[in-house]
Amino acid sequence: MTNDRALWAGFMKSAEMFTGRPAVVAEGKTLTYEELRERACRIAATIQAYQDASATPLTAVFAYRSPTAFAGVLGSLLAGNGYVPLNRTFPVDRTQVMFARSECDAIVVDAGSLPQLDKLLEESQKSLRILLPDVQSVETLRKQWPRHTFAGSNDLAASSDWREPEARPNAIAYLLFTSGSTGIPKGVMVAQRNVTAFLDYMVERYGITEKDRLSQMFDMTFDLSVFDMFVAWERGACVCCPSQKALIKPGSFVQEMELTVWFSVPSTAIFMKQLGMLKPGRYPTLRFSLFCGEPLPVSSASAWLEAAPNSILENLYGPTELTIACTLYRWDPVTSPDESELGIVPIGYPYPGMGVLVADETLREVGRGEEGELLMNGPQMSLGYWKDSEKTAAAFVVPPSKKDVYYRTGDRVRRPLGNGPLTHLGRIDFQVKILGHRVELGEIEAAVRKACGSDGVLAIGWPATPSGYGGVEVFIEGESKDLDGLRSTVASGLPDYMVPRRFHFMGKLPRNVNNKFDRKAVIHLLEEGL
Amino acid sequence: MSAASPGDVRIFLTGFIQRRLAAQGQDPLNELSDDCDLLLSGVIDSLGLLELVTAVNEHYGREIDFEDLDPDQMTIVGPFCDFVADRMGRA
Repeated sequence: MTNDRALWAGFMKSAEMFTGRPAVVAEGKTLTYEELRERACRIAATIQAYQDASATPLTAVFAYRSPTAFAGVLGSLLAGNGYVPLNRTFPVDRTQVMFARSECDAIVVDAGSLPQLDKLLEESQKSLRILLPDVQSVETLRKQWPRHTFAGSNDLAASSDWREPEARPNAIAYLLFTSGSTGIPKGVMVAQRNVTAFLDYMVERYGITEKDRLSQMFDMTFDLSVFDMFVAWERGACVCCPSQKALIKPGSFVQEMELTVWFSVPSTAIFMKQLGMLKPGRYPTLRFSLFCGEPLPVSSASAWLEAAPNSILENLYGPTELTIACTLYRWDPVTSPDESELGIVPIGYPYPGMGVLVADETLREVGRGEEGELLMNGPQMSLGYWKDSEKTAAAFVVPPSKKDVYYRTGDRVRRPLGNGPLTHLGRIDFQVKILGHRVELGEIEAAVRKACGSDGVLAIGWPATPSGYGGVEVFIEGESKDLDGLRSTVASGLPDYMVPRRFHFMGKLPRNVNNKFDRKAVIHLLEEGL
Repeated sequence: MSAASPGDVRIFLTGFIQRRLAAQGQDPLNELSDDCDLLLSGVIDSLGLLELVTAVNEHYGREIDFEDLDPDQMTIVGPFCDFVADRMGRA
């Protein structure tokens, strides 16, 4: 297939070929391809019925691990729009900021997210279309919100009304918000052709067939979820989505669902190892075990392979801006331990067509074997940041002596000697990984500065874990304030994993020779057991 | 090896939860009922659960295997305490 096709084309083809086979398991229910297509087409036709050329080509999907979440994603795409995933486990204030910034005219909401809808409707300046496939009667909502338009399950258009939209490979597939250092989340625009280029490689490499069953450990607000859904749907396979509760016993889920492809952050493997869920031979159904999102410790890879002995293990790497993953490394029990540095599995080799540049601060290529920032370009390089040309220009650059645009990942790697793999060495800035989530410490600092009025604020990833950090601690220059009030103000705008675990007030923050706040000195305080 | 009753485990669990909430600057819980689901009520997340299991193992000086505990029961106070006590009573 070529990259000119729409992202939904693979699903629709599978729906023809594998009509009665399972497409998704969510909330304990299995939906066949036929059932999921029916639901998705009704949503798509409803959006098409009102949408005109002036509308934002995006639809928000405010749904969590439910059949409506999957139907909403497909429905947005089938309407010719990109989808904007929203997550009810995030603070509603943050969801509201993302929704407002996306400028969506329509939103698909599932039953579980409905209690948070009021907040989005209250703040919206627009007249919104709200699709509620899980709700029969929407009369109360109509009375309460006369300026918005509601469609309950009985009001959705018939699936036969769906009209195939024009394929526009450059159209946005999804808009995903990542942590931004100024305190406002950045929306990454990923094009349909970015995703289809990624999918073409993945389905071939892993030989996906209709018999495969893929995990969905990632929330839809995490772009790795795109792999689970669309790799499965390209080839008629089933994506198996655990409930929030089942997420804490991933091992039982692998066994009950008889999964063949596993994909998670390394933290999940570390967690399972510590809870005794990685016994030798426990997961024989797995053909592939894939990890991405944070550094993968060698010890976790080895333990996982013992538990899933029939599987091939690969470590994937990639920022959202380069579409899900753009380098990978296949683990070999014999040679890989020697290729790993500091107990971390290499990130490997670029995907087909993806160019690599390891550069110094002036963006000139470093010598072989030397460290530098990783820059990449190619078919998976995304369109940039939504309505933010300044940030786009800063991250998507033409390095001196190059003709093409490259994306600056901010990741520090070693340029391989000869044909060896790329090795991830950390970040060049103050971005950290917390339980697999990309976090700008600057965003947390901005939130704390705003809440406490002090300009002297340092956020530190702490404690260090094999794959990043367990959480964040904050140091504030000034007199101790009302801690409860400060915490709740900060927490109202940040997801759980970004909320500081502790706040430390200091008369004066330590500074280095350049009179900058000295991060190392406060890390030392934490190491001393503060 | 030490034996423990469900009540003993409960005292340990309550202490753990209160210390954790205090460290995070949150209000202590008034009561921890047997049917309280620590995960769904937002008292702990999966990282907290890991800390809890590590703390239990350290406190009792042995590795308890939680794999046999039903996932639906794992984060509910009563079944969690019964399970740990039961495992402590085994050789």
